[in-house]
Amino acid sequence: MDFEFTEDEIRFRDAVSEFCKKYIEPIWVEVDEKNVIPYELIKRMADQGLLCIPISEEYGGMGGTYLMTTIAVEEIAYHDPAVAIAVYALLNNGWPLALELYGTEEAKSEILPKVAAGEAFFGIASTEPHGGSDVAGIKTFAEKKGDVWIFNGEKAFISGVRESVELPWGGGWFLVAKTGSREWGHKNITAFALLAKKDGKRKEGFKETIYEEIGRGGLSTGGFILENYELEDKYRIGDVGKGFYHVMEGFNLARILVAAACIGATKWALDQAVEWLKNRRLFGRKVSSFQGIYFKFAELYADWEAARWFVYRAAWLADKIYLEKDPKYNIKDLNVPVALAKMRAPETAANVFEEVMKWFGAYAYTKECNVYRGWLGTFSYVIGAEGAQNIMRIIIARDIMGKEALKE
Amino acid sequence: MKILVPIKLTYDVSQLKFDTSTNTPLLDACPKVIGDADKCALEEAIRLKEKYSAEVAAVTIGDTQEHYRIIKDAYAMGATAGYVIKISNSEELSVNIVAELLASLYQKTGPYDLIILGSGSSDTHSSFLGALLSAKLGLPIITGVDKLTVEDDKVQGVSTMEDGTYTFNGEPPLIITVTSEANEPRIPTLRDILRSKRMPINEFSSEDLGVEISKIEITDVKRYVVERKRIKFEADDEEKMKEAVEKLIESLKKEGVI
Repeated sequence: MDFEFTEDEIRFRDAVSEFCKKYIEPIWVEVDEKNVIPYELIKRMADQGLLCIPISEEYGGMGGTYLMTTIAVEEIAYHDPAVAIAVYALLNNGWPLALELYGTEEAKSEILPKVAAGEAFFGIASTEPHGGSDVAGIKTFAEKKGDVWIFNGEKAFISGVRESVELPWGGGWFLVAKTGSREWGHKNITAFALLAKKDGKRKEGFKETIYEEIGRGGLSTGGFILENYELEDKYRIGDVGKGFYHVMEGFNLARILVAAACIGATKWALDQAVEWLKNRRLFGRKVSSFQGIYFKFAELYADWEAARWFVYRAAWLADKIYLEKDPKYNIKDLNVPVALAKMRAPETAANVFEEVMKWFGAYAYTKECNVYRGWLGTFSYVIGAEGAQNIMRIIIARDIMGKEALKE
Repeated sequence: MKILVPIKLTYDVSQLKFDTSTNTPLLDACPKVIGDADKCALEEAIRLKEKYSAEVAAVTIGDTQEHYRIIKDAYAMGATAGYVIKISNSEELSVNIVAELLASLYQKTGPYDLIILGSGSSDTHSSFLGALLSAKLGLPIITGVDKLTVEDDKVQGVSTMEDGTYTFNGEPPLIITVTSEANEPRIPTLRDILRSKRMPINEFSSEDLGVEISKIEITDVKRYVVERKRIKFEADDEEKMKEAVEKLIESLKKEGVI
């Protein structure tokens, strides 16, 4: 086993870190305060090749590994602990890969280069107002008429709604809808690249709402209603009735990057804490010299590093499966490693940020301190964005204990 | 057009920490990078490559993996050739020997139209290297350039000094040293980094270059600390003020300030 990053991975991390120090670190607080990522930054990230890293060069991507993609997201989150910019990056890396795996040639050639160029957004649209975790229970329905699918339904808590409408080319999502039958089930779901806007023109039948969230505000979250919305069949992703399986693969890929964002932000919090504790004096000594403080620091550091290894092990496995196509592994082998990472990383972030804010004391309760921004940003993943925490527990328990053990 | 860009592996001084009890730098823990002014030198050369299809050769002196890494980093930025002058513990070389080695490499791998280098390294910052190269190679030099313009055979360098801005004109072959204000060096993309690992790095020894090596010993490195004297001269009337001023002048003379 080799736990070292390669020289190229270290050089890439250094380059991303340099970019982040120059262009992200100076503005992350303003992004969080004003709830918008300046388009200039999205374009810079695109020009730097930080979007669509694992996408083939043929479609405008960097042709990089998933491990490199994970490194990039971790670094961005370290310099943007409120994580809106990191989440913009991770969505526009993970979901484009899902499109490349199963999309049609026409859809890939049309959409992916625009995402890589920072001119289009591509995320995930699965959750609906009545529920998110129960993907088999979605209600948005697509009916095929000739070469066109007609959509009716509603999606909620979707990232990038404003971006898909405001970016120059437009964008949309890897969206799942019921096809054929409206019954609860896994085999009557189809995936699509549904666009809010394309070629600079809004699509008919798409009506959005933007929410006001408590954190991670730089990237919009909202909902949209589809009313007789039309989409050509070339935007279908994968076979009819296979959408559930494709979206679960997409979630596996995206969750690795979500976990990477959480650990990046968490490391920032730990580093802020070290400086604060070393320089603050109470009762005639450095606060860091109290056992109650440094014992707790050691525990939290251990939790962070454990979560980080979960993340990189999952990223390594994703490359084994998708890049190297190693016959020893199959897609389902990713389920538990990803669930471990996505379960641990946000919860570790929450624990670390809470403790760090307690160390900062009353100052942490002020906006000037900024630590709270990372707490709120990463907490969106504890609440359940990109996969509820208890769903991760189900995935792990079902695999390790066996399905029968979970039946009553 | 052919350009030689010497680059130095230096400590990333922005991440340098000190042992507070001895005031010595914790060098082992400090990451090493291409110096800021050297990066600007590379960036100027790459811009000329883009404008005139110039060849850009990067060279460094050392034998560690990190020395080879910064040549790969130079390739990732856009260099077209890379050289390592393999010498162990190269940080112990005097700047005069460094100039000898580079001058010899210049002769062996040239002819070059320009040598562009940083005005000083991020760590030792002797600022002598450009001038020594100029003397050894008999080439004119423009130093401390913040803004470099090359139009065909005309080179113009603008240097901001304490007393004003100076504009120098010259023609190749020429040496230019640039400051870390000269430009914003590009950051390589992943594609650039992956491409750079396939590029060849040519090695030279001091024997290949016909240079006899001698080293200097660095005996001590300490953080510069200004000790506050905390001496107060108090006066609350004109008489006491005169006395206080006399004492202040005496103290300053004792310190050698006046």
